[in-house]
Amino acid sequence: MRLLVTLALLLPALALAEDKAGDDMRLTVKPVLCITDNRNPSCDMSFLVVWQSGETGYYCLFNNFTEAPARCWSEERAGRLSDDRIVRENFSYWMTGSDPDSRLAEVTVEVLRMDSDDRRRRRRTRHVWSIN
Amino acid sequence: MFRRLTQLALLLLALDATLCLAEEETEEVTESRWRLGAALGYGVRSNPLVQSDDIPIIVDLDIAWFGDRWFFDNGDLGLTVADNDAMTASLVARVNSDRVFFGNTDTRFVAFDLAGMPLSEAVEFKVPDRDYAVELGVEMLADGPWGALQLSAFHDVSGTHEGFELYANYSYGWRNQRLYIEPSIGASYKSADLNNYYWGVTDDEANVVVGPYEAEAGINWHVRLMVGYQLSRHWGLSLVAEYERINDEAAASPIVKEPDVLGYFAGVTYRF
Repeated sequence: MRLLVTLALLLPALALAEDKAGDDMRLTVKPVLCITDNRNPSCDMSFLVVWQSGETGYYCLFNNFTEAPARCWSEERAGRLSDDRIVRENFSYWMTGSDPDSRLAEVTVEVLRMDSDDRRRRRRTRHVWSIN
Repeated sequence: MFRRLTQLALLLLALDATLCLAEEETEEVTESRWRLGAALGYGVRSNPLVQSDDIPIIVDLDIAWFGDRWFFDNGDLGLTVADNDAMTASLVARVNSDRVFFGNTDTRFVAFDLAGMPLSEAVEFKVPDRDYAVELGVEMLADGPWGALQLSAFHDVSGTHEGFELYANYSYGWRNQRLYIEPSIGASYKSADLNNYYWGVTDDEANVVVGPYEAEAGINWHVRLMVGYQLSRHWGLSLVAEYERINDEAAASPIVKEPDVLGYFAGVTYRF
């Protein structure tokens, strides 16, 4: 019984700590934009992922490419990772704490396709300063 | 005239939207049919006419809509009749662009004729006015690793100049992630009727300042360089420079002071 009471008291505190870590977690990714066109349908990019938390703890970095974390850090409050990838569509990096289902911070890398399969979108008009 | 074109465009858009509704419900639309953008910056397009002002460009809007067959592209209204791996062909209605220079002319008292000879007394002179012409034509677009080619032929259907124009433009673009550079070169053959309507001087328009002039057919040449830098999904920087050499027949007109048109624009762009 005492154990249950202790857990009941501890859980909100643990959740609070997780939220606090989430609030304090800062995740930056560079670059965050990949531009493709018909000649270059993918981006061969080297991403620098940097995170910093307000609290020392166990943190993992995930992305959309694999279910397993890209890397985990134990008893750390900051870290960085270089990640080389060929990118064709939007994806995200996110940080978790001990609960892998709770994302503390997330950054999305956008893929912006500049060309279109519709040739008419590339026609030149008397619209002299066409901003294609 | 422009209002009628706009009304026609809106009607066609509504019709096409209705026809495509069922298709859109079952098919995932990955690209918006609209292309909306705006550029804010500074640019100038020189005016080859005598007693005229250059055309300033501060804000530039890009408004286009592309349906399965119909499209509206910054004033051009088109119906695509063929689209395959090799090329896209469309019927296009447009407003002639030569008229734009005649909207920025001044009325002045002059003491010399346009050949530089003194007049007995100062007289009022203004470049003769010209009307917009609605033109109908065919346009062919082709592209590949070798670049992009645009060919078109337009004829006046509004009874304004009753001439025609043949146009060709070749462009090749390089992209290095955010940076895009696209030079292009092209030519435009203008028939005698078209050339003479805009650049000739009729007997009725001739006076002591400017004599009558009849322009024959001629070929305009142009080169263009566009440099774009994408800052984010929506924002970018754009720099465009264009040089156009007016055909000799038009350049020899007494109402033309310069044989070329130089334009440039630099600004921030936003694409919706």
